[in-house]
Amino acid sequence: MKKNFTYCLLTLLLLQFNGALIAQQSTVNGKVTSAEDQEGLPGVSIVAEGTGTGTVTDLDGNFSLNVSGSNTVLVFSYIGFATQSVTVGNQQTLNVLMQPEAKGLDEFIVTAFGISQEKKSLGYAAQNIDAEAITKTKQPNIVNSLQGQAAGVQVTNSGGAPGQSARIIIRGINSLDPGANNQPLFVVDGVPVDNSTIESTGTPRGLSNRMADLNPNDVASISVLKGAAATALYGVRAANGAVIVTTKKGKAGEVRVNYNGSVGFETLNQLPKLQDKYGQGFSGEYQPTSFWPSWGAPISEVQQTVADHKYEDNWNRVFNTGIQLDNNLSISGGNEKATFYGSFGNLQQEGIIPFSSWNRTTAKLSGSVKVSEKFNFSGSVNYSNSGGNRVPHDRFMERMMYWSETTDVRDYINEDGTMRTYSNTNPIYDARFATYEDDVNRVIGNINFNYMPTEWLAFSYRLGNDFYSDQRTEITPGPKGIDGEVPLSSTGYLEENRINSRDLTSNFYITLKKQFSPDLNTSLRLGNDIFERKYDRVTARGENFVIPDFYNLNAASQIFASQYKTVRRLVGFYGDLMVDYKNYLFLNITGRNDITSTLPKNNNSFFYSSFNLGYAFSENIQLPSWVTFGKLRASWAQVGKDTEPHILGSTYVSPSIFPLNGEVGFTRNSVYGDPLLKPEQTNSIEFGLQTAFFNNRANFDVTYYKSNAKDQIIPVPVSDATGYSSYITNAGEIQNSGFEFILGGSPIENSDFSWNITANLSINNNEIKAIKEGIDEIVVGTQYGYSGSTVTMKLLEGEAYGNIFGSSYQRLGTDPDNLFLDPSLPIIIGANGFPVRTGTQLILGNAVPKWIGGIRNDFTYKDFELSFLIDFRTGLEQYNQYANFLSAFGKNEFTEAREDFRVFEGVLADGSTNTKEVWLGQGTGPDGEEYGAGYWRNYYRTTSENFVSDASFIKLRNITIGYNLNPDLLERTPFRTARVSIAANNIILYTPWDGFDPESFSAGAGGNAIGLTGLGYPGVQSFFFNLNLGL
Amino acid sequence: MKTMYTILGLMFFLALSSCENFLDVNENPNNPQDAPISGLMTNATYETSLNVQAIGSISSHYVQYLASPNPAGASDIMDASNYSGLWFDLFNVMTDLTDLMQKAEEEEASHYLGAGQILMALNLGMTVDVFGDVPYSEGFDFSSVTPVYDVDRALYSEVFNLLDQGLQNLTGETAVSLDNDDFIFNGDVSAWIKFANMLKARFMLHTKGTDAYNAQEILATIDNGMMSNEDDATVVFFEQRFNPWAQDAIDNENLLLGGWISTQFIEALDGTSYTTMDPRLSLMIGATDDGEYIGVTNGAGRGNAPEQGARSTLIPGQYYTSEQSPLLIATYAEQKFIEAEVALESDPERAYAAYLEGITAHMDMLEVSGDDKMAYLNNPEVSMGATSLTVADIMKEKWVALFLHPETWNDARRFDYGYKDMTLPENLNGNLNGQYIRRLAYPDNEVSRNGSNVPDVTLLDRIWWNE
Repeated sequence: MKKNFTYCLLTLLLLQFNGALIAQQSTVNGKVTSAEDQEGLPGVSIVAEGTGTGTVTDLDGNFSLNVSGSNTVLVFSYIGFATQSVTVGNQQTLNVLMQPEAKGLDEFIVTAFGISQEKKSLGYAAQNIDAEAITKTKQPNIVNSLQGQAAGVQVTNSGGAPGQSARIIIRGINSLDPGANNQPLFVVDGVPVDNSTIESTGTPRGLSNRMADLNPNDVASISVLKGAAATALYGVRAANGAVIVTTKKGKAGEVRVNYNGSVGFETLNQLPKLQDKYGQGFSGEYQPTSFWPSWGAPISEVQQTVADHKYEDNWNRVFNTGIQLDNNLSISGGNEKATFYGSFGNLQQEGIIPFSSWNRTTAKLSGSVKVSEKFNFSGSVNYSNSGGNRVPHDRFMERMMYWSETTDVRDYINEDGTMRTYSNTNPIYDARFATYEDDVNRVIGNINFNYMPTEWLAFSYRLGNDFYSDQRTEITPGPKGIDGEVPLSSTGYLEENRINSRDLTSNFYITLKKQFSPDLNTSLRLGNDIFERKYDRVTARGENFVIPDFYNLNAASQIFASQYKTVRRLVGFYGDLMVDYKNYLFLNITGRNDITSTLPKNNNSFFYSSFNLGYAFSENIQLPSWVTFGKLRASWAQVGKDTEPHILGSTYVSPSIFPLNGEVGFTRNSVYGDPLLKPEQTNSIEFGLQTAFFNNRANFDVTYYKSNAKDQIIPVPVSDATGYSSYITNAGEIQNSGFEFILGGSPIENSDFSWNITANLSINNNEIKAIKEGIDEIVVGTQYGYSGSTVTMKLLEGEAYGNIFGSSYQRLGTDPDNLFLDPSLPIIIGANGFPVRTGTQLILGNAVPKWIGGIRNDFTYKDFELSFLIDFRTGLEQYNQYANFLSAFGKNEFTEAREDFRVFEGVLADGSTNTKEVWLGQGTGPDGEEYGAGYWRNYYRTTSENFVSDASFIKLRNITIGYNLNPDLLERTPFRTARVSIAANNIILYTPWDGFDPESFSAGAGGNAIGLTGLGYPGVQSFFFNLNLGL
Repeated sequence: MKTMYTILGLMFFLALSSCENFLDVNENPNNPQDAPISGLMTNATYETSLNVQAIGSISSHYVQYLASPNPAGASDIMDASNYSGLWFDLFNVMTDLTDLMQKAEEEEASHYLGAGQILMALNLGMTVDVFGDVPYSEGFDFSSVTPVYDVDRALYSEVFNLLDQGLQNLTGETAVSLDNDDFIFNGDVSAWIKFANMLKARFMLHTKGTDAYNAQEILATIDNGMMSNEDDATVVFFEQRFNPWAQDAIDNENLLLGGWISTQFIEALDGTSYTTMDPRLSLMIGATDDGEYIGVTNGAGRGNAPEQGARSTLIPGQYYTSEQSPLLIATYAEQKFIEAEVALESDPERAYAAYLEGITAHMDMLEVSGDDKMAYLNNPEVSMGATSLTVADIMKEKWVALFLHPETWNDARRFDYGYKDMTLPENLNGNLNGQYIRRLAYPDNEVSRNGSNVPDVTLLDRIWWNE
C-alpha cells in the first residue's frame, strides 16, 4: 500500500516538472578560462537560461552545448568565481574569462546532506572555514582548529594532554539534562559521525573526543550550521547545530603530490604564583617525613643545619617539554572521467606530564567516477589508528599538591623499581606505572551515487558508515614483594575495556528542478534518511595478581566482568523546497518527519518544519555605489529531538558487585523512564543582515537569534521514597538568545602586499524558563573543596545555566532572599578577628562566558606571509580547585604571609569597623594567642568565595610566519611549491586568573560541569617548524 | 540503468515496509524488565547488612566508639551532615523488598514473603530510629512524586505488623524455598523465625517508657528468639568484596584516615573508667607502635600525633575487621542484654543470668580465652550479683558487646548518653546548645526534591519513643 502511494506521488511530481520545450538546435563550442592564471577551468556549470539544458566544462575548460536559438543566454557558474551570463547571438565559439570572486561574498556553503549552496540564497547565518584556516592553527584535533574562527561557536580545550578532548558549543547550552550532549552533530562528507568522548571510569585521564581521529590535513573546508533553520533537515541529531566537514577531493589535471611536515614543542603556558620560602613540615617546624609539604620552617633556616634542604622548584621541573611530530603526504589527480585523492598522515605527540603520549596514523582514499553525463559515483574511506598513554593527570596534580617542595620530585625510583619517597606517593612514579592505554581503530566511509536522467531530475543515494573499536588497558601495579616498598595499590589491578561502535546511515533523495518563468526558479528535494548506531562495551577487571608485574587476566585471583550495549535506530522522511525569485528573493521551506526507536511507540513519529527567507535588497533596489551587497534574512524553524535508547519504563539492574558466592542480586533501577515520553521541541527564530561595501573591501554581518527548547527530556530528580531517584520525563524549558557580529575586509590589496581581516563577536543570554513543578533545582556537577568549600553547579528556574554555588563570608546587610553573593557589602569579622564564614550556598559566579570572539589577520608581502588569530572570552567565573588545594597546603604565593599580623577589613556584627589584629600563622602566635592550623587552613581554604574567580582570557591562538619559495627558484627543483613557516600556539596574552590555563577543566568534552577546573591537565603553548612541499 | 532503478526502488520499499519492525529495538538489553525473587533476596540481604554498617559508621562517633583523627569531624561534633546516600540506600532496599514481597505473594513463595517482611521491618525500623517521620504509605510505587511523611509512631505499628506477618508466613508452606540466595541464613527458616522474634524484642524495647511498652510480651517473644551465637543474623563477607570495617582499616593503613578509636571507648576497657582490664580490648582494636592503647578525644582530632602508629585504630585482621568478617545485623548477645534490661524489674535473677550470658556470648564470639573470660566474669565489678545489677551495668556491657553497631545509639538516646565518664565532644555543634544529638537531619536530596513534605525538625527533636 505504502509502496503504491509513493509511486503515485512520484509520478505526479514527475508530470508536473515535465514541461521542457524542444526547439531549434545549434551547437556552441568554447573554452572557459580563469582570469587569475589564464588556465582552463574544468567543471564550470553552463546552463541555458530558461531551459533545462546545460553542461559542464571538461578538464581543459572546453565545452560544447546544443542551444535552441540565438537569444539563448548561457549562465556560467563556478565556485569561487563570479557568475556570468552571455547571450549566444550568432557566435559559434564562445570563450569566457571567469573573474575570481571577492572573498566573503557569493561564497558557497555546504549545507545539509553535503549540498553546496550559494551563501547569498540562505535565510540563516552560516560560516565557512577553509582548509588553510584550519591547518594553519596546527591543532591536531579538528575541533580545536575552530577556536575563535566562527561567531557563536565556543570551543574549549579540556586540557593540555596529547589528544585530549575539546568541547564545542554553538549558541549556548540547550538542555537541562546534566548528562546531555550539548555539542553539535559532526558530518563528514555527508555522513554523520561519532564525536563522543568516553572518559575513563576512575580518575580523569583526558581522553579524546572521537573527531580527533580525523586528520585536519585531509579537510577541504568546514561549515558551521548554527541554528535550527540550518539543521532542520538533519533532524533530531543536529538539534545543537551541525559542523559539516568536507574532505579533500582529487581534481582533474596532473597528479599532484603534497608533503607537509612539522615538528613542535610544548611547554606549560601558565603556572600559579607559588611561594618558595617555607618547606616540609607543619606549624612552622621542619619534619623530613611529614605528610605536610610546605607548612614547615623557612627553608633558609633549615638550610643552616640540613645541607641539601632547598626549594626544589618542582612545579617547573616536573613538566617535560612536549614534542609533536607530524608528517603528511597526499597524492591527488584525475581526468574528466575519474578523480582520486589519497593521503597518509602520522602524528606523534608526547605531553608535558611525563609519560603522556598520543599518536595518530591516518590513511584516506577517495575517488569519483563519471560514468556518463547522467551517472556518476564517488566514495571515500578514512582509516585511522589512534591512542596513547593517558596519564592520570588529576591524580598527578593532586600528588604534586602533597609532594614536599623541598624534596626533588624527579628523583622518583629506586634501583629495584620501587618508588623512592619519604612517605607520600611520587606523582611521576604513578604516571609511569599506573598506565591507561587506548588503541582506537576507526573506519569512516561513504559511497555516493548520482543519477540525472534529465536536466530537472536527479536521484542521489549515499551510504555511510562509521565504525570504531576502542581497546583500553588500564594497569595499576600491586606490591612487588620487596621489603619496605610503597606500592601504588595494595592489590594491583588490570582493567580491559573493549568498545565497539558502529554507525550506519543511508540517505536517498530525489532532486527536482523547475523553472516556472525566467524569474522564478524552484527546486524540490524529497528524501529518506535511515540511521542506526550499535554500541557494545565489555569490561573485564582482574585484581590481586599472583605474579608481581605480570598483568594478564589469566593470572588474577579475582575477576569482575560487565557488559553494556545499546542499539538506536531512526528513520526520517524529508522535503526541501527552494524558490528563487529574480535572484534576489529566496524562500526555503523544509519539513521532516522522524520516527525513532527510542521513544514510546505511539509517540515516536513527529514532524517539524522550517521557513527561511532571504532578500538580497542590493540586487533589487538602487543603492549608493559603495554598497556592494546587502541582504536581509529571516527564519523560523522547529526541530524535534528524541532521547537515548533503552530508558523507558522500569527495569532491574544487577549491581556490579555481583556475582557473589555464585549468586546474582538484582535491584530495581533507580531511573524510571516516562512511558508517555514525547519528543523534545526546539523553536527558533533568526534575523540577520549581510552587507558588503567598497567593492567587497569590507563586509559586515549581524545575526539575532532566539531559541526555546521545551518539553525537555530530562531526568528529574525525585524523592528516593518514590521507589526511584530519577524520573525521565518531559519537563522544563531553556532559552538562548543572542547576537553575532562578523566584520571582515581586505583593507589593503595590491600586487605586493595584502591584508585580510575577519573578526567575530557574539553574546549569548541563557535563561532557564521552567523546570518542573515541585522541583527547585537540578545539580549539574559538584567539585570538592576543603572544609566546606565544595562548590556545586546548579540550575534554577529563572536563572542562567552555569551558576556556581558555594560558601562565602558573611556580610552585613545581606538580603536573605538574594541568591547571589553581594560582594559590595562589608564582610563580618568575628570576635576572634577572623572573617566569619557562612555555609549558605550562594551564587558566586557563572561559568558560561557572556562574550566570545576572535580576530584573524592575514598579511602577505611578496613571498612572505604573516597571520595571527586571537580569541577571547569574558563574563565568566570558574571554581579554581588548584587554588583551594594550594592554599590548604600552604603553596600559593599569598600563603607566604604566615608570620604576619593583619587586621581584616570588615565590620563586627554590630556594624562597627573591625580593628582586631590577628596573626596568620599556625600554633601559638607571637602575641601568645593560639591560632591552631592558622588562617589559611582554618579560614581561607574553607570558603568557596575565595576560589570562584574571573576566568576571562585573551589568547594568541596562533601566529604563523611563512615564506613561499619563489617559483623562479623552484624551477631547477622537482618541486612545484615549497613553503617554510614557523608558528606558535595558545599563548595567553591576558587573564586575571591565577592558576594554570583557565581553559582546562576536569569533566572532559562530554561533561557539562564546565567551570569546575578540577586538577585538570595544565594548558600548554606550542612552537612549530613547518615545511610544505608540492610536486 | 534498469538495475539502478531496481536497487533504488528496493531500498525505498524496504525502508518503508519494514519500518515498524526495524524500529522495535528499544527493549533494554542491559537491564531486565523483571527480576527473580531470589535475585532480589540476594541483594536485599546483602544491602541490609550494609545499611546496618552505614548507620553504625555514623552513630559510632555519637556513642564514642570511634573518633575522627581530624579536629571537629562532622560526626564527632554531631553536626547536621547530609546523609542523602544513606537515605537512598535505605529506601532502595525497601523498594526492592516491596517488589520482592509482591512477587513472592504472586508466586505463593511464602518463605520469601516472610523473610521479605522481616527485612522490611528491620530497614523501616532503622530508618524511623534515625530520621523519625519518613515516607512509607505513599512510597515505593511512584503513586506520588512527592510522597507524604508518615508519623513515626504509626510506622512502628507497621514494623510490628510486618514482623508478625513475616513470622506467620515463615511458619507455613511455601512454593519456593529459600536457599543460598539468602545471604543471612542460607535458607534456614528456623533461624529466620528466631531472628524475627529477636527483632520484635529489640523494637519493643525502644518503646520502654511509653504506653506501648509491655515487658512480659517482650520476655515471651525472647523465649522464641535466638538460642546461641549460632543464631546470629550476619552476612559473611567475600573475597571480591571485603567487610566494610576491614576496608576502613585497610584504607587507614594506606593513609586514607578513618576508624580511629575514641578515648571514651579505650578508657572504659583499659581500667581507667572501671577497675577491670577488659581482655576484649586487644581483640577489637589495634595498639600503637609502642603497644599502648591511646584514643582520640571526640571532636578534638589527633593534635600533633602523626598519621600512623601513635593512636589506636581499627586494624585489619581482627574479629570485626577481617576481610571476610561477618557484618553483624542482630546477635544473641544483644538479645541477652535486651532480656536483662526488660527482666530487671520483674525478675532480677533472670536479668542477671541474661546479663552474664550476654557478656559470655560476646567473649565467645571474639574467642577470648577461657582464663581471661573467667577472670573478667569473676571480677566483682562485673559479677555484682542479681540484686546489685543496674541498668547502667547492663548498658555498659551492651555498649561493649555491640561495638560499631547502630543499636547502641538507640540505647544511648534512651539512656540519655549516661555512660560512665562520657562527655560531650569538643567543638560540639553550636546549634545543639550543649546537648547530645537526638536524630539525623533530613538529607539535602529530600529537601530539594520533596521539600514541602519534609518536617521541620532540629537535631534535638526526639523520635517518638525517646520523647
